[in-house]
Amino acid sequence: MRELLRRLRFLLGRPEYERELEEEMAHHLAMLEENGRLPAAARRQFGNLGSLREESRSMWTFAFLEQTAQDIRYALRMMAANPLFTATAALSLALGIGANTAIYSFLDAILMRSLPVANPHQLAILKWHAARSPGVIKGANGRMSRYGKTGRESPNFPFAAYQALRDNPALFSTMIGYTYVQNFNVTVGDAADSIPGGFVSGNYFSGLGVPPAAGRLLVEDDDRPGASPAVVLAYAYWQGRFNGDPSAMGKSIRINDVPFTIAGVAGPGFSGVDPQSNPSFFLPIHQLPPLSPHPGAEERSRFFDKNFYWLEMMIRLRPGVTLEQAQAALSAQFHRFAAGTAATPKEAEVLPDLSLEPGGAGLDYLRREYSKPLYVLMTMVGLILAIACANLANLLLARAATRRREMAVRLSLGAGRWRIVRQLLTESVLLAVTGGAMGLFVAFAGIRMITWLIANGRENFTLHAALNWPVLGFTFALSVASGLVFGLTPALQSTKADFTPALKEGRSQGWGRTGHGFRPRLGHVLMVGQIALSLLLVIGAGLFIRTLSNLHSIDVGFNRENILLVSINGRQAGYRDAALARFYSGLLDRFREIPGVRSATASNVPLVAQYVNNPDVIIPGRPSPQHSGTECLKVDPAFLETMEIPVVLGRGLQREDLASPAVAVVNQKFASAFFPGENPLGRQFALGSDPGDPMLAIVGVSTNAHYNSLQESGEPVVYIPYTQGVADLRGMFFELRTAGDPFAAVGAVRRMVQDASRAVPITEVTTQALRMEQTISQERTFANLGACFAVLALSIACVGLYGTMAYAVARRTGEIGIRMALGAQRRKIIAMVLREVFALTAAGLLIGYGAAHFMTYLVESFLYGIKANDPPAVWAAIGILLAAVLAAGYAPARRASRIDPAAALRNE
Amino acid sequence: MGPKSDILPGTLYMLILRSLARMGPMHGYGISQFIQQTSDDVLQVEEGSLYPALQRMLIKGWVTAEWKQSENNRRARYYRLTPEGRKQMTRELNEFERVIAAIARVIEPA
Repeated sequence: MRELLRRLRFLLGRPEYERELEEEMAHHLAMLEENGRLPAAARRQFGNLGSLREESRSMWTFAFLEQTAQDIRYALRMMAANPLFTATAALSLALGIGANTAIYSFLDAILMRSLPVANPHQLAILKWHAARSPGVIKGANGRMSRYGKTGRESPNFPFAAYQALRDNPALFSTMIGYTYVQNFNVTVGDAADSIPGGFVSGNYFSGLGVPPAAGRLLVEDDDRPGASPAVVLAYAYWQGRFNGDPSAMGKSIRINDVPFTIAGVAGPGFSGVDPQSNPSFFLPIHQLPPLSPHPGAEERSRFFDKNFYWLEMMIRLRPGVTLEQAQAALSAQFHRFAAGTAATPKEAEVLPDLSLEPGGAGLDYLRREYSKPLYVLMTMVGLILAIACANLANLLLARAATRRREMAVRLSLGAGRWRIVRQLLTESVLLAVTGGAMGLFVAFAGIRMITWLIANGRENFTLHAALNWPVLGFTFALSVASGLVFGLTPALQSTKADFTPALKEGRSQGWGRTGHGFRPRLGHVLMVGQIALSLLLVIGAGLFIRTLSNLHSIDVGFNRENILLVSINGRQAGYRDAALARFYSGLLDRFREIPGVRSATASNVPLVAQYVNNPDVIIPGRPSPQHSGTECLKVDPAFLETMEIPVVLGRGLQREDLASPAVAVVNQKFASAFFPGENPLGRQFALGSDPGDPMLAIVGVSTNAHYNSLQESGEPVVYIPYTQGVADLRGMFFELRTAGDPFAAVGAVRRMVQDASRAVPITEVTTQALRMEQTISQERTFANLGACFAVLALSIACVGLYGTMAYAVARRTGEIGIRMALGAQRRKIIAMVLREVFALTAAGLLIGYGAAHFMTYLVESFLYGIKANDPPAVWAAIGILLAAVLAAGYAPARRASRIDPAAALRNE
Repeated sequence: MGPKSDILPGTLYMLILRSLARMGPMHGYGISQFIQQTSDDVLQVEEGSLYPALQRMLIKGWVTAEWKQSENNRRARYYRLTPEGRKQMTRELNEFERVIAAIARVIEPA
């Protein structure tokens, strides 16, 4: 304690103490001289004054802090004195740290974040998979994806399976059921809107452990046939539409023209179990039939058909029960259930197998869709961080080399070795900190950019990544560590005990000392590594860009430009059957009047929007239904003409066909698949295996146009008038071919829909081209981000190369001066510097090329129309890198050639 | 005069404290001269290192310092042993003797 007081006193009267120490030492020296020593001998006997002074001072603590402050001040001065060095090092680190933080934040949001429910780790999702399409599944509604080559997998089950499996209290406390989210026509007061909502079982909220924010949540009694219709709102919708007003509870709203009472509001933050969708409200499953066009048929298929798969399920495991235990029990149970639903032994041959997946993070579609791309992006930004760290290391090495003399001078003046090392470390850490701080801004900007890229114009995109502080901390620590490691090596080197050579060295030699030839050094190795990594990234970007351009240049068989796409659902507002068809044709007549609209048409789904329905094709006189992946589009007769799909045989659809709709236009693929070598005109077929399905007569054949996706082509497609099977008519997509910008017609379209019916909202407005762009969002994201990353990596590497070479030239000023004084030409000097740049680049390119040869196979599944080692992409990348690197190396080379020999030699 | 030896590590404080105890207040040069002469020039204080040691002893409170006129009319800083410094000296002497005795036992002829 008293010690501390003494120290404080010292700190306050510090100049005094310093003076006293000085005087005391001077006194000692004077006494030595007085006793007959020569001044030089006296000094030698006394020791190094500077370091003794420093040592005495360091006896009073705070010295550590004080020195650190001093170091920081000095480091800041160094940074300000070398703006080029500071800017390049900090900027490359900022880009590396920022890009990594942004990507990892997304990865975390998509892959690792839990649902905002109680104990999310207890949740498990039920799914089934089968090696082939199981015969017991005769109808499905919801998601289904491929499993292996020919198999299927899906989270959908029949309602009967839910009833059979739901009670197993030993394994799980609850089993909840729910459907995917779809849009409904919701009328609050007078205003109709198209709003997303989902059906959930009565135990949904209690099973998930979601608290109410107002009113009450759904209970089992709400979810029974004939229960009075109740709806629970999502918190965000309640806030947005009802201003969070508690008096909204008990109010009535109309959903698809059926009145529902608002029972309550789910807790804030909860928006269903699918992170990708964002329902505004939740309805009991048993309200599904009343909201559909044919309640009776809907109820039969949903609740009594054991072969109709539509309900998704999740369980909450009991504590201590593992996923495997529950899966063993449930899959045996489900296997018995599925076997019992087979009508024939043949149907029982392939049965769906039940499996469980962890459900704590919600459904996995989003993860499946984005996790692999994100891992690729993650690797790319990881490489960028590596390049940035190598850059920092290289610049630090280069600078340490130029400061050898400074260090030697300071050591000889009595600076402690550790003291100098500490100061150099302070400088590197300060640099890393500056880079990290700038990286924070890059990360914020990066997150916004990636959100924009992934959302890709989709409305109500719900994935919101927040800045991930642990990740930022990690990347930041990494950069500080690289600053420390690569700052330490040269610091230790330049403070080696024997500093006389460094003092003698002057300012001239160093780097590839004359006569020693080329020796690979740490700096060179780093440079080569940077170039190799950059090449990898540039090749990657090239592959992704070529993929995107291949996708864009696909001939889809119709004209995608200048088409406004408007989605309208009159069925949800209460129009049905013939009235609905009249409503749509009335709208079409109005749309055709809009100035600038050249033609207008409608179809039940848009082209190239990944809608699949695959009905069976029945041809009279042929044995069984023909599975062929045939697609059916219900269209307005002007469809083929408006989309510019030419009819090559027979006639197109005509207005009169709306009245007698048992006709079809098929594409060439359909004709050749079902009627090879025959004239298909006049032939008949039916869609669907129901004996009641009408026979359609082929009146024309069109060319093939893409139906499902940009990548797939050649599905057999049937175009029939939308009045065919009018009972199934629901929403329609209106395609308006415009003379100029399609969006110019939006105002008129909205007015006309309003005029036609105030109860029918427009669900979505976009263009055909944008809609198609959405289907290749992943490829586009890759191409855009890949290009960004490549530019980033290139600039960082070039900046590093420039810095390294500029320092090297600065250090060789003397040598170059001598060469020039002896008659070397400027051209020769430039060539000499560039030769070194070229050697480094060649080594880097060779290694990068080899690595790319293997690495590109990892991204092959993301490519379209090219192979992993696409030669144009690889050679273009090598060319770009060469050009960039030589450009970066040319500036220092030029500077070397401008050295004035006289000035350089005077400097010796 | 035999070869000179550097002071054993860790004993500098003890030597300074003992010198001050025997001779009363002294300045830095005096202390170094005293150690050298008393040891018949065997112990060689690296003179400069005296001052960091003295600073540290000031902090620890083992010595106090004051400026006075020296014998030959120069201003010099005189260090004086404090009671605490005397206690520290006893501690260090005991420790030193213990170690020396131990070494002696190890090296004494069999």
